[in-house]
Amino acid sequence: MRTSWRIVLVHTITFRQARQWVPAVLAFGAFRGLTDGPLAVVLVVALVTAISLASAVLGWWRFRYEPGPTAIVVTRGLLSRSVRTVPLDRVRGVEVEAPPLHRLLGLVRVRIDAAAGSVQADEEELVVDGLPPVEADRLRAHLLVRRTVAVPGEGEQAAPAEEEFARFDDRWLLYAPLVGSYLAVPLAAVGALFRLVDELPRRWRPDLGRPDLSDTAVLAGVLVAVAVLLVLGSVVGSALVNWRFRLVRRGGSLVAVRGLLNRRHTELEIDRIRGGTVTEGLGMRWVRAARATALVTGLGDAARRGQLLPLGPRAEAWAVTGRLVEDPGPLRPHPPAARRRRLVRAVLPGAVVAVAGAVLTVTSGLWWLLVAGVVLAGLGVPVGLGRYAALGHVAGPRTFSVRSGWLVREQAVLQRRAVVGWQVQQSFFQRRQGVATVVAAVGAGSGGYRALDIGAADAVPFAVAASGRWAAALSPEPETG
Amino acid sequence: MHPDPARAPAWSPSRNAIGLWAVQGAVGALVLAAVVVALEVLLPLPTWLALLLPVLVVAEAVVAVGVAPRLRFRVHRWEVTDEAVGTRTGWLTRTWTLVPVSRIQTVDVTRGVVQQLFGLASVAVLTASSQGTVRIPHLDADVAARVADDLARRAELVRDEAT
Repeated sequence: MRTSWRIVLVHTITFRQARQWVPAVLAFGAFRGLTDGPLAVVLVVALVTAISLASAVLGWWRFRYEPGPTAIVVTRGLLSRSVRTVPLDRVRGVEVEAPPLHRLLGLVRVRIDAAAGSVQADEEELVVDGLPPVEADRLRAHLLVRRTVAVPGEGEQAAPAEEEFARFDDRWLLYAPLVGSYLAVPLAAVGALFRLVDELPRRWRPDLGRPDLSDTAVLAGVLVAVAVLLVLGSVVGSALVNWRFRLVRRGGSLVAVRGLLNRRHTELEIDRIRGGTVTEGLGMRWVRAARATALVTGLGDAARRGQLLPLGPRAEAWAVTGRLVEDPGPLRPHPPAARRRRLVRAVLPGAVVAVAGAVLTVTSGLWWLLVAGVVLAGLGVPVGLGRYAALGHVAGPRTFSVRSGWLVREQAVLQRRAVVGWQVQQSFFQRRQGVATVVAAVGAGSGGYRALDIGAADAVPFAVAASGRWAAALSPEPETG
Repeated sequence: MHPDPARAPAWSPSRNAIGLWAVQGAVGALVLAAVVVALEVLLPLPTWLALLLPVLVVAEAVVAVGVAPRLRFRVHRWEVTDEAVGTRTGWLTRTWTLVPVSRIQTVDVTRGVVQQLFGLASVAVLTASSQGTVRIPHLDADVAARVADDLARRAELVRDEAT
């Protein structure tokens, strides 16, 4: 089957296929020189558009997708044909997105996540670009057919019951300036602007003169402007991505819809969810904000696709996580040795600088390094205590949880069945202090979740309580212990 | 010192592993010796350094050939039980790894060139997580083949979701 011909328009306008020709055209232009005036510019633009149109038509003409009973086959390529066959039982998720231009022409793009394990990230996805929404829905239903079969009853398949898990409140956008990744949005935009200005010919550049930064008023003005820009930019950036985020359960799937300009529709199987994480950055903790992410086995780009709540109050993040993974109970603190170790680690760099500074003060009278070292070491104390305060672990009847991190504090709640292995690590110093680090190997998320510096005697009991009797193979024999 | 957090698995690698590690150590020491000889010939070193370097090379060779292989042999342990397969490695930082048979995805046996000279093979037990990999180095080749067969067969029988 072919995609809609209207996608040719989209690809022509966005130079999707023609992008690779741009360097060649630029080189040609530079060689000829664009000195012939406006006519040459018009010619170049016309040429580029023609190339873009031609390649878009060819790309569309050579693209075929065939959803068969057991597999989907995608054929594409201008000169070298590529045929990819993905068995339906390898399809892990289907994402339907509608960028603005697509929406204008009544089209959507379907991304099929077919994680094959060892292939590169960009090959894990099949993209069918340019389908009418009705066709996309039919394709999605076809790809996920084995799931609907599992649900008994025809009526349910026709109109699956929806249950709302989370809905984004516009006021939560105000949290964005406190989140590192959203703050990066305006910074990246400013960076791109500067690059653009740099590449403009000198005579087109606005002549701003040289603002006198020694003037306090000007400096303050610039700082305020930068702060306002950062705050506004992060809110706008967050709004673009998270606009009217909504998470619903539909049959055996979780469906998330989000985005202002580019509406995304992500679907993941509840059966594959092995746990969830709630993360809070340093700034987010001030205002009790958090984000919640599901840990899903074999999900490509899991950090984005698994989002349960991109940004919101901590209570809301925990509520949505709790609907999917049982709460294992309150965390248990780690032994005092863990606090000592966190403190030593946080203070040590400053202490080293201070010692070096002290030597320099004596030998050459250079005092500022000593001061810097002492200040650094002093700042290490709250950091170390904060790190320790973040530590915690608990094993409940069906789930367990570990928490760590200071700059970004992450608590993972995992089902017992998520554990595919355990690692117990003990360094020389940990051995002397009677603590050990226990890592639960999990086939989802980051692959391993650590309980840092728990009491050495608690390590194996925790592993057994959090997974199963098999972990007792690690337990030290009582007679030699 | 506090008691260990976990038990040492029961079995050691093949005794031939000591020979293999000793050969690896000897090769490393030879390379180092060649570098030192080149330095002594090409650079005008101060006398104390010219005398110290050969002593260091000899010391390194003694440790790498005579001491380290035996130490490694004592440190590396592995065991397969009814339900799980586990290892312990590391001297300063010790690491115990345990994977249940029901979560095994693949079992690999590899035989390097030097390993073949000593009749050795390594077994790697892989799961859905990159951090849940159990590597058993330097077993007798027939032991490795038997262990891999046994694990693969049992994993097939008891596999639940394996993820």
